Amino acid sequence: MSESAPRIRHVEAIAEGTVIDHIPPAATLKVAQLLSGAADQVFIGINLRSERLGRKGVVKIAGRELDQRALSSLALIAPGATVSIIRDYRVVRKFAVPLPERFEQVARCANANCITNHEQWPTRFVVVGERPLRVRCWYCERAFPASELALL
Amino acid sequence: MPLAGRHVISVADFTRDEILHLLDTAAAIAQGPRRELLAGKIMATLFFEPSTRTRLSFEAAMLSLGGRVLGFSDPGSSSARKGESLADTIRMVERYADVIVMRHPRDGAARLAAEVSRVPVINGGDGANQHPTQTFLDLYTIAELFPELRAGRCITVCFAGDLRYGRTVHSLLHALCHFACRILTVAPRGLELPEQYVAEARAHGIAVEAVPSLHEAIASSDVLYMTRLQEERFPDPVEFEHIKASYRITAAMLAAAPPRLRILHPLPRVGEIATDVDATLHAHYFAQAANGVPVRQALLALVLGALR
Repeated sequence: MSESAPRIRHVEAIAEGTVIDHIPPAATLKVAQLLSGAADQVFIGINLRSERLGRKGVVKIAGRELDQRALSSLALIAPGATVSIIRDYRVVRKFAVPLPERFEQVARCANANCITNHEQWPTRFVVVGERPLRVRCWYCERAFPASELALL
Repeated sequence: MPLAGRHVISVADFTRDEILHLLDTAAAIAQGPRRELLAGKIMATLFFEPSTRTRLSFEAAMLSLGGRVLGFSDPGSSSARKGESLADTIRMVERYADVIVMRHPRDGAARLAAEVSRVPVINGGDGANQHPTQTFLDLYTIAELFPELRAGRCITVCFAGDLRYGRTVHSLLHALCHFACRILTVAPRGLELPEQYVAEARAHGIAVEAVPSLHEAIASSDVLYMTRLQEERFPDPVEFEHIKASYRITAAMLAAAPPRLRILHPLPRVGEIATDVDATLHAHYFAQAANGVPVRQALLALVLGALR
């Protein structure tokens, strides 16, 4: 047995799938809910210690790799998170969630009077500020902190 | 300058040169009306929300250039009442008309309509969002009164009243960022100009300064742009009456005003400009409203490709 302190896993390892790390703690459950399907195995850690964030959330989804739409949603609710793709218990790809220039059809406009809340019409938001993330609705032209938007 | 086929949704979609070209075209039309310029063209006016001034001014503009007009001014008589989507209404109307002028109570409705329509859509006001033709006529009026604006010399414009919710103020301020000017503001507590607009103006090198009362504004402005205070913005009716009294301009207050000061207002006014101001040399709001016709004539002629 090694003398060094054993590495404690706070969240179960997965054989295949995706790990989303460095999630703001308050957004963790939302991320899990948004990205996982009803039948997926999901492991969630909230308020884990993080050098970078102080506290963070981690979500591990077994057997699923995120598509472009999921990444876009992730960028909106957890900008700054990192994504690792796991195959055979090994990280085969790790990257920061890319911030798109615009978000298409991932969230509802927070302005109750916006036409997109009254017509069947795809929403679109343009990024106007990065830290903290602010977006402007393409239609009603109002700007919001990304945290105020409800995901579709 | 190719404005033919363009939608007119937001002032922010237009460059300084495009705005100046529109103002020049409006000035040329005001000099010599062209009675057959838009003969054979049809303008549809879709007013999902009533508006006397904007609709009549667009109709006058179209009719005086020889075009024809169809549409509705009462949403109760439109198919929207039967639950038709805005997109479907536009898909139908674009087949009947060469240009669509629309006012709608929802923010962003004009942008959506423009994405559906193959003919130009002109936004006649979408909720609390944009009303670009009002801004164009405001700017036309200011440039007509103060030609030095175009020559790059600084003029002082003071915005007074509800600067928080007033879309005409935000939109005109945005357009003024293309020119050299100094901005003064006077607003009740809680209805001040939102920081994002102050920041935008300053980013364009424009000084923005809050002044304590209309008296300071009168003494140091070239243009005093008055807006309406709406009672629903004030939870306390007593407070509203008190504030309303301090945002009312009278002829007596203008006795010592600099002769070049001109007062503008998007209208309708409800007491913030006393009727005794109308006879002073400073009153310019009715002339401003009349400018809506040449500006809208120019816009129609340009987007319909009748003028370049």
